[in-house]
Amino acid sequence: MTVSTACPPEVLAQISDLELVARIVVEGLVSGLHRSPFHGYSAEFSQYRHYRPGDDLKYVDWKLVARTDRVYTKQFRETTNMASAIVLDTSGSMGFPQAGPAPMTKFRYAAIAAAALAHLISGQGDAVGLLGGERYMAARAGRQHLRGILAALSSLTAGGTWSVADNIRRASERLSRRGLLLVLSDFYDDEERTHAELKRAARRGHEIVLFQILSREEIELPYGRDLEFADLETGRALAINASLARRSYTDAMASFLERWHSRAGAEGFHYSLNVTDTPPARALRQFLLARVTR
Amino acid sequence: MFWVNPLALFALAATAAPILIHILIQRRAERFPFPTLRFLQPTRLASIRRHVLEDPVLLAVRAAILAAAALALAGPLLLTASRRQAWDRRIVRAIVVDGDSSTAALAPGGEGEQRAVMMQRQFDGHPLADSIRRAALWLETSPPARREIVLVSPMPIGSITHADIAAVPGEIGIRFQRSVTLPPARTAAAGHVLTSDGVRAREVTLTGDRTSFRDVDVNAVPVWPIDVVSGAGDRPAIDSAIAAVRSQRVWSAPSDRRARVVLIPASTAVADGASDAVPITVPWMADAVVRIARDGDLHAVSRSVPAGLADPRFASAPWQTLAVAADGRPLAAAAGSSDRLLVASSADATSLASPVLLRSIANAIAPVPDLQAAEVMPIADEVLRQWSRPPAPVVSPRIDTVEQDDRRWLWLAVVGLLALETWLRRLRPTAVERRAAEDARVA
Repeated sequence: MTVSTACPPEVLAQISDLELVARIVVEGLVSGLHRSPFHGYSAEFSQYRHYRPGDDLKYVDWKLVARTDRVYTKQFRETTNMASAIVLDTSGSMGFPQAGPAPMTKFRYAAIAAAALAHLISGQGDAVGLLGGERYMAARAGRQHLRGILAALSSLTAGGTWSVADNIRRASERLSRRGLLLVLSDFYDDEERTHAELKRAARRGHEIVLFQILSREEIELPYGRDLEFADLETGRALAINASLARRSYTDAMASFLERWHSRAGAEGFHYSLNVTDTPPARALRQFLLARVTR
Repeated sequence: MFWVNPLALFALAATAAPILIHILIQRRAERFPFPTLRFLQPTRLASIRRHVLEDPVLLAVRAAILAAAALALAGPLLLTASRRQAWDRRIVRAIVVDGDSSTAALAPGGEGEQRAVMMQRQFDGHPLADSIRRAALWLETSPPARREIVLVSPMPIGSITHADIAAVPGEIGIRFQRSVTLPPARTAAAGHVLTSDGVRAREVTLTGDRTSFRDVDVNAVPVWPIDVVSGAGDRPAIDSAIAAVRSQRVWSAPSDRRARVVLIPASTAVADGASDAVPITVPWMADAVVRIARDGDLHAVSRSVPAGLADPRFASAPWQTLAVAADGRPLAAAAGSSDRLLVASSADATSLASPVLLRSIANAIAPVPDLQAAEVMPIADEVLRQWSRPPAPVVSPRIDTVEQDDRRWLWLAVVGLLALETWLRRLRPTAVERRAAEDARVA
């Protein structure tokens, strides 16, 4: 079934309410998926306690009332069968492109995708956590926690340096049991270190999902004149003619992407390249379909 | 080629503006934030290559627009053969009319020549020399054409001189036309003279090249206009000198023109009668001083006087030296006063210099009768032929008198070039769109 409700990125970029954006994305995402991509929700009975005014009557154990003439309500302990952590790259390079009235930056795109993933995971009753910038939220389930994650995502901005490798290690160590590690980044950080940390996380039993997010401009370098390129993270500048540099740039970029694709495949990571001019729902859908059919 | 506003040619420097803008715009690479530099290889900057002009045709057209506008502002005037011929076909004429003239005299030349007259103005020809100068000035400010002055006058001797004709610019033609024939003889009143017997009216009769006069008794009280201040012992000699002067007949001065002569012995300082000297500011006094200073008889006799005025103050303002004695000092000096001309002299009352000085002063302070209007001798036809000349063709017109210059053609060229520039720009939409798209991406 094809997805027809995928909202264009430029529209999503103009909506400031990240929860609404996540709902829109998820709405376009789950239509056509016949079963949950994540493990199901379950609740275990914990104990009885005396009824107190205001308790939901559906939890009253009427058989026990009939036997004992006392009104007890049942208490449950919610359990999840999966914990997940979203690692969101907030380095300066994710702030590209900067110009325009409401640009769909890579970070904005990643934040929308992260919100949608959190919405999906939380909606299944599973625990989800977040690690981005200086914010860390441990994996938990529930709507309140989801709202907290969405609020945290809304408050994050891209800027400066941010080590993806270090934060992958932090996230994998803080997942108390085997879980799902979702990393959204352009992966311009140190390739070897990042790859090493991902392998270590995989050895700890985590399932690794990599969303590499890039813009069309940085893949194709479509400029045709002299430009002084300034590194968004280091501030270092290089004045070149873009049209003269295009061939070598696109070759190097293709090699970079191929390296990530082949390494992820070799290690059993789920890897997807997401370009910001495609709807986030479409990119996530491919990933979810792959999980459903796994 | 002439230029109406040559300073506007400095605006030609503006043609460098498009080239400079092109070069300056290409020099600087715009700063562009980018995620990472790891895949970018250093290259040479294209702006160095683009110093070679990218679109020379468009640039040339734009430079030509500015150049044409600058030239149009400068107001060019091309001296073509047809323009010169058109100017030479027309005549601007100044007619100087002295006295009554017939209608025919005011329209000199044939019918064809009259049709060629583009502008014509009549000047009152009295005095004739001044009218010629005014006519020449008017012609110099007239539009380019053959220009001429037509003098319509009886042409009596003295009314025009060779100097008056020489003062007219050479390209202006001069034509003489006698309006009337002068009478063979004419008698005119020539003022009054003072004689030993009283005042007489003088009548001058001009007959051909001969002049005669007749003095007629008039019933008027003779007034000697000169007071002489001297020592008491000099009075008889002074009276004798005055009588001698009157016997020779001098011009009678009006009652408001008076003079005082102070005879000062050579060794003394300024006498009482000369102490109120002031600089001369009254015109008739100034004229009188000039005429006395030109008196040849006074200069001749002054050299026989051994000593001049000893006081050095007579050699400086407000005194003006009239004649010099044998010792180089002033024999006579003049200054003004509140109501009369002051003359100080070192001449002795008994010397010949005193009556000569008195005669000179009496004739100088009286108005000189002008007999020019009574002249009956005409300027010879031969002289008038020598002074006559045709109007010269226009060689270099005064640029401020040209009615229409050639700037309209340049403005037309500017409009045409603007249209061409627009067409050229629209011819290259792909390049423009590509650039705009790239600008949008960079922005």
